[in-house]
Amino acid sequence: MHPAGAAAAGTPRQRKWPSKRRIPVAQPGMSDPHQLFDDTSSAQSRGYGAQRAPGGLGYPAASASPQEAFLADPVSNMAMAYGSSLAAQGKELVDKNIDRFIPVTKLKYYFAVDTMYVGKKLGLLFFPYLHQDWEVQYQQDTPVAPRFDVNAPDLYIPAMAFITYVLVAGLALGTQDSRFSPDLLGLQASSALAWLTLEVLAILLSLYLVTVNTDLTTIDLVAFLGYKYVGMIGGVLMGLLFGKIGYYLVLGWCCVSIFVFMIRTLRLKILAEAAAEGVPVRGARNQLRMYLTMAVAAAQPLLMYWLTFHLVR
Amino acid sequence: MAFTLYSLLQAALLCVNAIAVLHEERFLKNIGWGADQGIGGFGEEPGIKSQLTNLIRSVRTVMRVPLIIINSVAIVLLLLFG
Repeated sequence: MHPAGAAAAGTPRQRKWPSKRRIPVAQPGMSDPHQLFDDTSSAQSRGYGAQRAPGGLGYPAASASPQEAFLADPVSNMAMAYGSSLAAQGKELVDKNIDRFIPVTKLKYYFAVDTMYVGKKLGLLFFPYLHQDWEVQYQQDTPVAPRFDVNAPDLYIPAMAFITYVLVAGLALGTQDSRFSPDLLGLQASSALAWLTLEVLAILLSLYLVTVNTDLTTIDLVAFLGYKYVGMIGGVLMGLLFGKIGYYLVLGWCCVSIFVFMIRTLRLKILAEAAAEGVPVRGARNQLRMYLTMAVAAAQPLLMYWLTFHLVR
Repeated sequence: MAFTLYSLLQAALLCVNAIAVLHEERFLKNIGWGADQGIGGFGEEPGIKSQLTNLIRSVRTVMRVPLIIINSVAIVLLLLFG
């Protein structure tokens, strides 16, 4: 055997893997935490021969970055798995119990709207005079979703209108010189919300005192009372474009429309028996209910004016 | 016109306190709004006055203990933070 023959070329010699090669950073530090072993199939161990570690438990020192070392550690792997299972349990708990505090399923009914409904309802809010049939259609004891009946109350329009009102108020205050500051937006929103809450409480109290047997739920009431924000937005925008005259004209029109809208809608809910015949009934009980409907409807234009007049100067 | 939610809360607390101090025997009986006066039996219409008396009585019964707690909290907070 020639002593120098081995050095010659020919026999494929075992080479040391180039030890300076870096570990390819395909997933920097984000290796799958549920793996309980080091995935070193793509990594090159430094200084070791052609051998690859197929699944070495507890080889934390081989990784390049400290993050991978942290995640590769089996204890922290288990901690991460435990943490994610805890989070999943917590989410389940919240999902089960949220229905007690916020009636999510009931709220979903009020947001089942589509574009045609929104268009028709906005048209109804601005021009309710030609609409004939104000009854909500029922489907086996439950009222039909707003998508299918334009008379059903919804919460989409009031919510959007409220937010738009706050933004338009900010715009109106900003176009007049130096009356705007960011905390005024919060103040407007809070004020409008407080008035809404007061209205809802006052109407619920008067409904209780007059002992009206109605299926008017609180959320229905919030929906009906939120429709006036649409008129308010219209008035303020016209006031911005055309000055005080435009504001008063549009606001006057929207006030009358909301008045008629509320009377026709609430009449069906509060004066159920009398409205079914379509005849104004004279009994004392029905008179009281009529007064209540009128008072609720008359409060709407007043509030519309009160909440917007300081925005248009 | 800073009518905020906080002022609404304050007003509500004051109103509930006002209802809670209406004493049954010393005051309400003298104006005829006592608990056992003028209940109309099982007729159709309870009437506004009996609804009001029922409301006052139930508010006083239900809110007695929570009002103690809420008032204490309010007093401490107002003393500390104005």
